[in-house]
Amino acid sequence: MTRTGARAPIGVALVFAAMLPAFALHVSIGATAIPLATVAEAFAAYDPTAFDHVVIREHRAPRALFAATVGAALAVAGALMQGVTRNPLADPGLLGLLAGAAFAVSLAVGAFDLLDPAWTPAVAAGGALAGAALVGSIAAAAPGGATPITLILAGAAVTAFLGALTTLALLLDEATFQALRVWLTGSLSAGDRDVFLRALPWFGAGFVVAFALARQVTALALGEEAAIGVGVQVLRLRAFTLLAVVALTAAAVAVAGPVGFVGLVVPHAARLLFGSDYRRIVPGSAALGGLGLLLIDVAARRALAPIEISTGIVTALIGAPVFVWLIRARL
Amino acid sequence: MTLRGAGGRLALALPIGALVALGLLAAALAVICVASLATGSYPLRLAEVAAALAGAAPDEAATTVVREFRLPRVLVGLVAGALLGVSGAVLQIVTRNPLTDPSLVGVSQGASLAVVTLIVAMPGADAALRPVAAFAAGLAVAAVIQSIAARRTEGATMRFILTGIGVAAFIAALTTALLTYGAMQDALAAIGWLSGSLHAVGWGEAKALTLSALALAPVAAWAARPLAALRLGPEVAIGLGVRVRPARVALITLSTACAAAAVAAVGPIGFVGLVAPHLARRIARAGVGLHLALAAATGVLLVSSADLAGRAAFAPVQIPAGIVTAALGAPIFALLILRPRRR
Repeated sequence: MTRTGARAPIGVALVFAAMLPAFALHVSIGATAIPLATVAEAFAAYDPTAFDHVVIREHRAPRALFAATVGAALAVAGALMQGVTRNPLADPGLLGLLAGAAFAVSLAVGAFDLLDPAWTPAVAAGGALAGAALVGSIAAAAPGGATPITLILAGAAVTAFLGALTTLALLLDEATFQALRVWLTGSLSAGDRDVFLRALPWFGAGFVVAFALARQVTALALGEEAAIGVGVQVLRLRAFTLLAVVALTAAAVAVAGPVGFVGLVVPHAARLLFGSDYRRIVPGSAALGGLGLLLIDVAARRALAPIEISTGIVTALIGAPVFVWLIRARL
Repeated sequence: MTLRGAGGRLALALPIGALVALGLLAAALAVICVASLATGSYPLRLAEVAAALAGAAPDEAATTVVREFRLPRVLVGLVAGALLGVSGAVLQIVTRNPLTDPSLVGVSQGASLAVVTLIVAMPGADAALRPVAAFAAGLAVAAVIQSIAARRTEGATMRFILTGIGVAAFIAALTTALLTYGAMQDALAAIGWLSGSLHAVGWGEAKALTLSALALAPVAAWAARPLAALRLGPEVAIGLGVRVRPARVALITLSTACAAAAVAAVGPIGFVGLVAPHLARRIARAGVGLHLALAAATGVLLVSSADLAGRAAFAPVQIPAGIVTAALGAPIFALLILRPRRR
């Protein structure tokens, strides 16, 4: 094992530990800054009559929790996709899952007035699965098969197609446009506690499957023959990872809308820091994704204050150049 | 139309099939154009349309409707469709990838950002500036992508596509930011433009678009020869005496210029550049020159019928042509690619 490999568990633990100060920073910064001491007090000795305590417990802490969870979920989803497809450019956004989930939710809200948060994660999961299936089958049918470039082109085409349908739904129904125009850009400000609670089982199931399969994903990332050689049932592994990816993506979209590029960028950072073993990459991606989205959300809230930028816009503005750099470096 | 004659006659037989197909496409197109001139919230009979075109209509309103509103719209649909079809066909041959679409690799996104900036950030700006800004921004973005993707190793076109998608995502995020934080009515106006519609075009757009198409047509005619060589692969092209790298840059620039001119006039109409070349290939096997013509004709058919369908389907609500092409083009494309051509 390499030196990065040997030190990796400590590194992952350090990143997880760094999430605590990031969380505190996220909570203390806002329209009015709240001192860190008050933040600590709000959790240690909660006083329901103190205004700052209520703001922290009711608004800021939930938002920070959403950011960390959504970031971790999207990063783990991206890591699984990159490992299983052996495609360094795999990502829930680039391969149509985010667009599918967002379109399904817009359709449910706009056309069927389905506003019950209990249904949101399930609707998003159906959309994400459909998006992934569409992209996969188009790319597989293309001459030359599902190479990284045909997958990405199919993903871009499906995203454009679903985007057009979403636009149509919004053009025909201005009320839905009002309700969803911020959510559709990937925003944590629209996060709803009920939706988050309903999404928790999806997050949980996705993380458990991802952590349990990490060892086999490492084998598959070395190549299909190597994986079969060490006793991995490749088809079953692919099916389970797809379900985990869909669950994590759907839960993230339900809470925060389509936040792109987290699943692309974070796993590459995790691989640089922690080596190529998915038993490190999966938890490392979770930690880095959570930490990253906490910090990005701080930037999104403060960069142009008092205007708040959508988190999804900031992740695209950072992630797209990284994507371009990856192409220059890897292809 | 496969007149598979013996031996040497084969070379003659194929263009006949393609030419017949081209004629049939033109006939279908004429029907759609006439229907388009007659259809709308002020319906006209065919005789009235003919009279209005000749300037001899008994009804002043009919003349205005046909000559000032519907005729430029039909013309813009024709030219924009042809440009999009040619753009897609050229890009697919240069990149040797059947999934490439100029609207996916940054051109439309750059044009969109320019126009949305004009609408949202400078609401007072003259609407006549929009096509100019869109054309310039589309070309600029394509140039930026080419310079990022350019390197001395192989795989240049693949990097062009992927870089284009990355740059497109970056620009789309900027556009979304403008849309989210602009005033509500400006944002709605911008979304209308973003969905790709012909309903606002007049003679100004029609003239500008026709002029740019006339300027691009000789370039497209020149392009047939290097394209025919590149279709066989870079090695063969070099063997045939084509300087591959400059030819690629020139052809990609031609493709993006065609797309940018069309987008500047009608907004980002997607999937035409993707689907038209595939349909053209299914309709008839042909050499590159005829293939470009067929792709142009198919693109015209797609845009014109999408505009007509969008106007007629949910009247009085007008569905933008770009939405129709996406909603119909994507399934057509999936069918084409999922069902291999019969041999």
